[in-house]
Amino acid sequence: MGTARPLRTNAKTKPPVLLAEHPFGSTLRVLRYRLDNGLTILVLRDPSAPIVSFHTWFRVGSRHEKPGKTGQAHLLEHLMFIETESLAEGEFDRLLEAQGGESNAATWTDWTYYYENLPVSSWKLAVKLESGRMNGLVLGPKRVASEKEVVESERRDRVDDDVDGAVSEKLYASVFGRGHPYGWPTIGWMRDIKGFSIGDCRRFYRAHYAPNHATIVVAGDADPDDVVKTLAREYGAFPSSPAPALAPMVVPTLRAEKRLEMRWPTPTEKLAVGWVAPAFAERDHAVLAVLTHVLASGRSARLHVDLVREREIASDVRMSVAPFREASLVDAWVSLREGHTGEQALRALDLQLERIAKEEVSREELDKVKNGLELSFLGGLETVPGKAEQIGFSETVVGDPSHAFVRLEEYRSVTAADLRRVAAGVLRRDARTVVHVRRGRA
Amino acid sequence: MSAAQRFVTRAGTVVLVEESHAIPLVDVTAVLRTGALADPKGREGLARIAARMLRMGTATRSAEETEEALERLGASLSIDVSHGTIRFMGSVIARSFPAFLKLFGEILTAPALRSKDLARVRRESIADLAQQLDNDRWLASRAFRSALFGDHPYARSPLGTTTTLKRIHREDVASFLDHHVTAPNLVLGISGDIDTASLPDLVESALGPLSRRKVAPLALATPQRVRGRRLVVVDKPARSQTQMFVGTLGSRLRDPDFHTLLVANTAFGGTFSAPLVQEVRARRGYSYSASSRLGADREREAWTLYTHPSSENAASCLALELELVDRFVSRGPRASELRFAKSYLVKSHAFDLDTPQKRLEPRVESEVHGLPRSFHERFVERVGEVELDAARAAIHRRLSSDDLTIAVVATSRDVVASLRGLVDEVRVVPFNRV
Repeated sequence: MGTARPLRTNAKTKPPVLLAEHPFGSTLRVLRYRLDNGLTILVLRDPSAPIVSFHTWFRVGSRHEKPGKTGQAHLLEHLMFIETESLAEGEFDRLLEAQGGESNAATWTDWTYYYENLPVSSWKLAVKLESGRMNGLVLGPKRVASEKEVVESERRDRVDDDVDGAVSEKLYASVFGRGHPYGWPTIGWMRDIKGFSIGDCRRFYRAHYAPNHATIVVAGDADPDDVVKTLAREYGAFPSSPAPALAPMVVPTLRAEKRLEMRWPTPTEKLAVGWVAPAFAERDHAVLAVLTHVLASGRSARLHVDLVREREIASDVRMSVAPFREASLVDAWVSLREGHTGEQALRALDLQLERIAKEEVSREELDKVKNGLELSFLGGLETVPGKAEQIGFSETVVGDPSHAFVRLEEYRSVTAADLRRVAAGVLRRDARTVVHVRRGRA
Repeated sequence: MSAAQRFVTRAGTVVLVEESHAIPLVDVTAVLRTGALADPKGREGLARIAARMLRMGTATRSAEETEEALERLGASLSIDVSHGTIRFMGSVIARSFPAFLKLFGEILTAPALRSKDLARVRRESIADLAQQLDNDRWLASRAFRSALFGDHPYARSPLGTTTTLKRIHREDVASFLDHHVTAPNLVLGISGDIDTASLPDLVESALGPLSRRKVAPLALATPQRVRGRRLVVVDKPARSQTQMFVGTLGSRLRDPDFHTLLVANTAFGGTFSAPLVQEVRARRGYSYSASSRLGADREREAWTLYTHPSSENAASCLALELELVDRFVSRGPRASELRFAKSYLVKSHAFDLDTPQKRLEPRVESEVHGLPRSFHERFVERVGEVELDAARAAIHRRLSSDDLTIAVVATSRDVVASLRGLVDEVRVVPFNRV
């Protein structure tokens, strides 16, 4: 049974005009267009390889779900690969793989994106595949049921039987709250996954999958004029849909430390600590990224040297900052060695956090971290699909397809005083949640 | 191939180059033709310990100073030890490349090998082993390889065991490095934003002190097929799902039918449209991941199917996989499936070559394994030439559906009874004894 909106296939569409050119490094440009129905098109001509990476980013993720229906955005992402009005079940992958193409998708809190990487000679197949499912997805009972089982399998693999995934889920739910849009897991609670009906999936699809909620990024060795004309022809007649109402997000403020424990069949204890952090677009998010690198990125980072090398109480230390639109979470993860405890790790972590909030990081240490971040930035631009992903993410989360370059400049501008200020303001004991994993049966 | 793309240092290291100025980044791959196969019996883990000792300081730098120096350059360096190779993978901002190469040369040619650092590396390695017990897929893979290869060195883990790691002394490490880290035993690949003309001098300066001694390849027996369908259940508490490997011996890189088997495997479980994925995931929803892989090395590696069904579906999923393997081995792929696999491999080859590093990688591999250049350069032609009858013959010759090794990580009481009827033998081992 189809779930499509009316499709006016004979509608005349006028070619869109170029709205803006965004520099993407010193030699490349992102060209911006918008169709009358609201579809944003970003084109990067990059002749570095004879391939095209075609990305479709929808501004919908798990934050657009409701309690009791968590995991809907992710389940729909799975269902988008199955059947459309013009392609029978299984044809999507067969057509793509017959051309040597690869495809995948990802869902997180603020977005869902789909991509196809194809040899340049067959890039227009991506248009056929993506336009078909943006406007003509078919959801049948048998495949919805089997795909729910696939998602349950994915959840068991990534969360229920995986200590990292289980701890991360607990941390987010505690820091933001189980009923907060950033607090429930993007993959969904198992009970919610099992409970989805076809009607739920159809309603979510109709509400969020429309051209005015999407950005298409085409990167690679395709002619931009041809790209724009082709997309205008194939997508121009799709109707837009009203943006679903979204309540303003209230970012929680923690006023007292929270401590949680869990048991796991593991030989070693683990410790996870989380704090609410600024939204991705804020400069302090970039400061936090630098801060987490000073503390935990690489073998010469402070926490690695202290906990892994010198005290020898941990085998692994990591920190990261989530890249969310409204607010983020910065977390620290310590995997202890046998015979050592989460309490020891927390004391050592506290000493390092106190130090970074009080003493200025030296110029040499800051430069080292900035070089590391520059290396990561360049690594992200090594491939055509990597560039397409940077553009799609930056446009969807920040509204600027070249934001990766802005971000690099922000890293370069971070000072030792910034690090002290943000460490003291964000990584506070009274604003953190601690999850301690002890050995035992889950 | 031009002289700029390949040259040999005075001491005998082959250097392969792929220049590209698309972004200011340089990737360095250095491969030593040695690995866990060279571990002495009872001292398994030596190759990995020795490799890790290389970054624990040099004659003029402590371990901490070495790490600081790397990271100040805007560089990353990782080391991977497999059965047949020790592989160093570096990335560096282009402006720091000369300094990085100099430092890498120092790491390789003048390691300090301090006893206190060895003690630390040993403790870290033992801690790594404990961490691996959290990784169910790794546990399943370990149990699978151990059961499939038996006494053959392919069965051993490059990580070693707590017992064998404790037996490794400084003299073992020094002797291993002295024997294996030589110029002719090293292949160096450099790709990215480099000035090719200045490269020979930079490399000579960095790697000049390496020994010129040639290293004879290790003798390696042919693995023997384990008869019957044998199941190892790795028992771990509180599992809601299983991790499942099913397989048998696969191929050698040098086998004349290697490319034929590669195409056949792709037709069976190498794409999303392949029967394995369609039957296990798409039609029945048993497992989020479902794939088959043809391993190949100097000797016959493993042909494996990987899935992770729930404990509840484990028996149904295994029965289905056994049925699919039976059909594949007895009848081979359908003509349409083989055509599809060939088309996929030929056309997707563009993605094997879309960065300088990827373009360089097959050349490095050919050099390391002593394969003719045509092995990778003629990949598309070889795949295109595969015929259905040849594919069926190669499957029949190399693979087996009667002799299969199966490893499952699960809470054993939830799965053993239902799995028992599908195999000839069942063995249960605790997860901390794999």
